[in-house]
Amino acid sequence: MSLRIPLRPLTRILDARARGENPDNVEKENLRLRHEAQRDRLRLRAESRLLLVAFVFVAAFGAVGYKMAALATSEPSEPRILSQGPTILNTRADITDRHGRLLATNFATNALYAHPQDIIYPRRVADGLAAIFPEMDADDLYRRFTGDSRFIWLRRYISPEQEQMVHDIGSPGLLFGPREMRLYPNGSIASHILGGASFGEEAVNAAEVIGVAGIEAHFDEELRDPARVEPLMLSLDLTVQSAVEEVLAGGMALMNARGAAAVLMDVHTGEVISMASLPDFDPNARPRPLLEGDQADSPLFNRAVQGVYELGSVFKTFTIAQALELDLFSPSDMIDTTGPLRMAGFAIRDFSNYGPEQSMADVLIHSSNIGTARIARVIGAARQENFLASLNLLEPTNVELVEAPSGRPLTPPRWGELATMTISYGHGVSTSPLHLAAAYSTIVNGGTEITPTLVRRETPQNGERIISEATSVAMRALLRAVVTEGTASFGEVEGYSVGGKTGTADLPRPNGGYYEDRNLNTFASAFPMDDPQYVLIVTLQEAAELSGPEPRRTAGWTAVPVAAEIIRRTAPLLGLRPDIEHPIGLQLSNASQ
Amino acid sequence: MSFLEYHVKSTPTGWRKILHLNWALALLLVTVACVGFLMLYSVAGGSFQPWAEPQMERFALGFTAMIIVALVPIWFWRNMSVLAYAVSILLLLYVEFFGATGGGAQRWIDLGFMRLQPSEMAKVTVVMMLAAYYDWLDIDKVSNPLYVAIPLLIIGLPVGLTFIQPDLGTSLLIMMGGGAVIFLAGVHWLYFATVIAMGVGAVTAVFASRGTSWALLADYQYARIDTFLDPTRDPLGAGYHITQSQIALGSGGWTGRGFMQGTQIRGDFLPESHTDFIFPTLAEEFGFVGAASLLLLYILILVFCIATALMARERYASLVVMGVAVTFFLYFSINMAMVMGLAPVVGVPLPLVSYGGSAMLVLMVAFGLVQSAHIHRAR
Repeated sequence: MSLRIPLRPLTRILDARARGENPDNVEKENLRLRHEAQRDRLRLRAESRLLLVAFVFVAAFGAVGYKMAALATSEPSEPRILSQGPTILNTRADITDRHGRLLATNFATNALYAHPQDIIYPRRVADGLAAIFPEMDADDLYRRFTGDSRFIWLRRYISPEQEQMVHDIGSPGLLFGPREMRLYPNGSIASHILGGASFGEEAVNAAEVIGVAGIEAHFDEELRDPARVEPLMLSLDLTVQSAVEEVLAGGMALMNARGAAAVLMDVHTGEVISMASLPDFDPNARPRPLLEGDQADSPLFNRAVQGVYELGSVFKTFTIAQALELDLFSPSDMIDTTGPLRMAGFAIRDFSNYGPEQSMADVLIHSSNIGTARIARVIGAARQENFLASLNLLEPTNVELVEAPSGRPLTPPRWGELATMTISYGHGVSTSPLHLAAAYSTIVNGGTEITPTLVRRETPQNGERIISEATSVAMRALLRAVVTEGTASFGEVEGYSVGGKTGTADLPRPNGGYYEDRNLNTFASAFPMDDPQYVLIVTLQEAAELSGPEPRRTAGWTAVPVAAEIIRRTAPLLGLRPDIEHPIGLQLSNASQ
Repeated sequence: MSFLEYHVKSTPTGWRKILHLNWALALLLVTVACVGFLMLYSVAGGSFQPWAEPQMERFALGFTAMIIVALVPIWFWRNMSVLAYAVSILLLLYVEFFGATGGGAQRWIDLGFMRLQPSEMAKVTVVMMLAAYYDWLDIDKVSNPLYVAIPLLIIGLPVGLTFIQPDLGTSLLIMMGGGAVIFLAGVHWLYFATVIAMGVGAVTAVFASRGTSWALLADYQYARIDTFLDPTRDPLGAGYHITQSQIALGSGGWTGRGFMQGTQIRGDFLPESHTDFIFPTLAEEFGFVGAASLLLLYILILVFCIATALMARERYASLVVMGVAVTFFLYFSINMAMVMGLAPVVGVPLPLVSYGGSAMLVLMVAFGLVQSAHIHRAR
């Protein structure tokens, strides 16, 4: 602050007095000058400040104007969400059949969720969503949109049509999260093998897809491996599988059966070409497992792998094969078939009587329980058990399905003489149709062990030798004779020389004993019998053929014609050439016997 | 000093004053308000209800109030400043304890015909109070720390009361408007330099500490700041308004989509399109040309205010006019910056255009003060 000049400097007052002026005027003049100086100073400062403020205004206008022009000239671009949080890896490998046709693939879809605080008209949005998704309730949605929640899952996945309809509601706050969904383009075909997949860990921008059953669950790790590029190729043939399922479903309806299963296996490679279990399901919309009751009643139940049954007379093949292998009997040796055969208060009877004595071949052809039991008695319990074990009939199959271990065969607690005799014709040991397919492959393929597999393989298994080449050749002839002369006469398919063995087993009651009128009918077949390539097992549960005066419940009337139809349909698809050297008339006359 | 001692020579008296109104300024205000009516009509989908008609009625009321305030000599308003300030503080206290709750905050008093927001009123009364204070204060004392503390208290009281409502936008506006008056009054620039340096220092410290062991904020708070600074990081959440607003501005292009053709508005993509986010609507429908024209109108209004401030000999008149001008400037510049993504979304309406009663009425009264200073200027 500058030193103030006194308002009334004495010298100036004295000067003024000398000049005769009023000193008060001097004081006033000085005051005026000082006020003016002060005002000028103030003005100067105020003006500089105003200038500064004006500069700020100009700068702000410049910024706003520049940004406005920049926005006006910019092309509007959709906002993108930068990836937030850990991303979930979700590229799952495809699954194909043996020819590379898709069985399971991925499908890009969206999950639907909401940010309720961004929804402007909750009522309108709730009504709109309820109109698109029948399972949603408009009032309930409205309550949730107007509640405190800031995030609501609405659907785990939506179809493209539904996505468009949600877009058309046009409300902010309805958001889509990208999803990779497992899609089974063939619907229910091979449903039990593929199993199914579901969402694991879920986030807004992605969700894990995990296998929950079948192949998807068994190979879950491999399918999810991000380094994997090639699809998983199965041994299945989609065309054959489709034909098998179609014929089996038709046969099941025709024979009034409650359930059915079929396994078609390559006898050299052990590849499962087709495997079906009915009733089935759509893996795109897997039904929920049963919460109570028998799981075997659920469509999810795989009868071909998980279902273990006493399969009946189809086991006679193993008894006869072992008798031949051990050189105990030759096919022409006569066996005592007088009945009933009583053993420990238990009577073994035959379905029909073919005389007191039959050759071992006829025992198989006419399916004599008594004859087979007598042969088994000669073989003995220990040797029988070892033989069945070597055919892998006493342990679960290690086929590539998570359900495989649950198909554990049931064996008698004490493998005594009576058990040996009943097991010889298929009662007392329960196995799955898949077990049977592998064992029959061994019998007809030249005698080497077969492990069933669902994964494509090029080469024969060349497994351990179970029976000799000669025994295998003899068994082919016997099995062929069952069709040409015996119980499986409906199994004849022109040109493919089918051979096989029927099995009609009484189903056990849940509380012990057996039903009189509920059977499990099985036809275990192989074709073409001069050089077997494939084994086909067809099983019908509680089948009854009703065209005659009385319901016919034997395998020969139910499972055999269905199997024949399957062979008729699939043999050309499998690339087998029919053998047309046999005169057709002869075949028919044989079949009618 | 009684107000009777105040003599203004050769100023118009009686109803002749009306002729001496700054009619150019009045015309500009009417033009801007008409732009507002047009946009509210468009936002409502081509209807005067529910926004355009009430807005017109309020503007008529506000225009009348402006003329009444303009006809009363400015020195009278100077003497009323303390009273006006006291009333607005009391009303702020009243809403704090008895006010109606709207949009999650206690903001207004229901007067029956309109809802009064005392925080809007405080924007003008703080300017009036500060102008009166510096008019009273000896010019040599303005930079004295004791006399700097008093205006800080004058500003701090309404800012604090508004902040706890909570209404961050309005409290910032009051603070910046008051600060501008203090600056214009000539307080030593070192005070402002200190405040700015402290602010910059605090922000730098917060950001510098990120990721170090002495981090001043928690991670989620940093994440909020990130979204605050760059709304495109979270276009569906916190950044939704801004993203949609920028899409609207961009979709307008140079000449716009045409009246009532805005897609962002028709599709309900842009919330609050009749209040804080009305500017993108205008920009989408009338393009850069329309938006720039509105900006030009605002600039002209400011120019008239600054001219009036420069012409005023009286310290009070000059300061109050500049204070009103700065407040007005802050209103529309923050709103525009906000919808363009230059500033964070704080909830500031576009003056005279956005739908809203209190803000419009208070602004028109404030322009009444400007007009009064214009009419009663020394000649």
